[in-house]
Amino acid sequence: MRPENYQAISHPPSNEYELNFGPNHPGIEGNYALKVKLHGDVVVAARADGGYLHRGFEKLMEGRLWIQNIALVPRICVPDPVPMEVCYSMAVEALTDMEVPERAQWLRVLQLELSRIAAHLFTFGGHAATTGMYTTMYWGVADRDQVLDLFEEWTGGRVYHIYNIPGGVRRDMPAGFLDRVSRTMDYIESRLPDYDNLFFTNQVFVDRARDTGPMNQQQALEWGVTGPNLRATGLAFDVRRDDPYLVYDQIDFDIPTEAPGDAWARTLVRRQELKQSIHIVRQVVEKLPSVGGPVRTQIPNPLAWNVPAGETYTRVESSKGELGYYVVSDGGDKPHRVHVRGPSSMHAVQVLEQLAVGARLEDVAQIMFSLDACPPEVDR
Amino acid sequence: MKEIDNPIEAPVDQSRTNPLARVFDELVRFCRSRSMFMLHYCTGCGAIELPPAMTSRFDMERLGIQPMVTPRQADILLITGYVSIKTLKRVILTYEQMGSPKYVIGICSCTVNGGMYWQSYATAKQLDQYLPVDLYIAGCMPRPEAVLEGMRKLMDRIRSGEADGWKDYYRRYDWYLGNQQHLFGDDWQTPADVIGEASHYDLAEPGTEGEHTRLLQQCQKPLEPQQTFFQIGGSLEKKGESHE
Repeated sequence: MRPENYQAISHPPSNEYELNFGPNHPGIEGNYALKVKLHGDVVVAARADGGYLHRGFEKLMEGRLWIQNIALVPRICVPDPVPMEVCYSMAVEALTDMEVPERAQWLRVLQLELSRIAAHLFTFGGHAATTGMYTTMYWGVADRDQVLDLFEEWTGGRVYHIYNIPGGVRRDMPAGFLDRVSRTMDYIESRLPDYDNLFFTNQVFVDRARDTGPMNQQQALEWGVTGPNLRATGLAFDVRRDDPYLVYDQIDFDIPTEAPGDAWARTLVRRQELKQSIHIVRQVVEKLPSVGGPVRTQIPNPLAWNVPAGETYTRVESSKGELGYYVVSDGGDKPHRVHVRGPSSMHAVQVLEQLAVGARLEDVAQIMFSLDACPPEVDR
Repeated sequence: MKEIDNPIEAPVDQSRTNPLARVFDELVRFCRSRSMFMLHYCTGCGAIELPPAMTSRFDMERLGIQPMVTPRQADILLITGYVSIKTLKRVILTYEQMGSPKYVIGICSCTVNGGMYWQSYATAKQLDQYLPVDLYIAGCMPRPEAVLEGMRKLMDRIRSGEADGWKDYYRRYDWYLGNQQHLFGDDWQTPADVIGEASHYDLAEPGTEGEHTRLLQQCQKPLEPQQTFFQIGGSLEKKGESHE
């Protein structure tokens, strides 16, 4: 614009002003924006402004073959892609009445829990960075890379591993892989006390996260909150236990809860979930050698695979909360309609808008990271 | 929209005959190539491989590459992955705020040709139609090593004077603007005065102004006080500009 066209922008004579928080902001988790109205530095109103990552996944899936969609779904949530693959595969299996071999089910559980560990380590990093503790971010990302190395050796991909397909998994694991899983779990468990000292019991973090963005149990239920954010309000709801899928009913694990429901409690629940996930992985490693057999059921020619007409809703527990796929088939070779019930849509839009009110500007980023919202999954 | 080939310019300005000037040019280019501040703008999924590349394991900072949080401080704009049309507006806005010389790296297949989302109505398929891209790092998504290798390649290109996409933006601004108008509508405008900057850098050429810049000047409106996003009284109704 030409300089002569510049003119002074007048503000209304009030202490209230508006600020664009994102999409290009280090305190925002990904490409996502929040418009906040401030009085001084206290947020008076907040409104989520999504759509920066919109690609129309649900529509794109209607134009692709059943098997092609496996490559599309992990992109919906980048830090935690495995639950997407598993949940979609489970939906297709439910439509076709397909049996999944037992070994494949154990392998899927192993994948899901490794993915949860990676996602939680990544979230700590982001959360710590918003409070200025960059060392935690460096450690978290570096430790997450150990898990990604396992994935890379197992499936060939670091982040997106198109591994869980309808009917089972693509292939069995490489020789000696379980030892490496055990070693990595030992390593990550040995790091947990360091994280406690560095981050979770750090007075800076505790002071900032205590009473930040509090949410009580009734609000959480009204807003459709699931996952660690719900468990941080004291309700032990977990899809793995309350609606068991795969072989979770044969696995022993606890569901950690915290009462206060603030940012500190949400982070603490994730910290305890890390320990539980390591515990689950150890059980899988113990059990897996005795579970032999094939890892996939033979599926028809994928290029002309007509899934029987019907509809289904399958759900799994992802690291963000309950993830569901509502899939409708009209008997064709492509889905008729797919709807993804992403947990982050609730967390990042309505919950964030409500919790940000009354917080100070510097705490908005912390609230968002403690909710662990995943912007690509909000926009889909 | 007429197609113009992207000419690779001779690295040394021929009008500068003093040999000492060339020495300084080379020194300046070397220094630029060894202090690359990249903008912390993660447009898509490729951004998830940037933290590993930046932190302990691969450690980009040992090469002099550091994330920066504001466009005014940054030299490199990383476009990591798919760019939706709504994001592309903000990307162009960010790019025009950056000081020259500035470089653009397109990461992931989506910036090259739309990648997996070639069918999608919301994705801008080919980034170099709207911004000059100095380097593409293909892959879905490229590993941290690939990102580092791309950065090294960009260093070499800056040092040898080949990375001059920013000059291309000034020289062929009308073409880029035409593509942007094609996507965003005829009333698309940014607060930056690109034509004025082009003449400041002595890069105004016949391609700088044309039919599209004339259209821009016709449609250009002065900056107005921002429409409020919240209604007075606390109701969260949006007024003003509509978003895609």
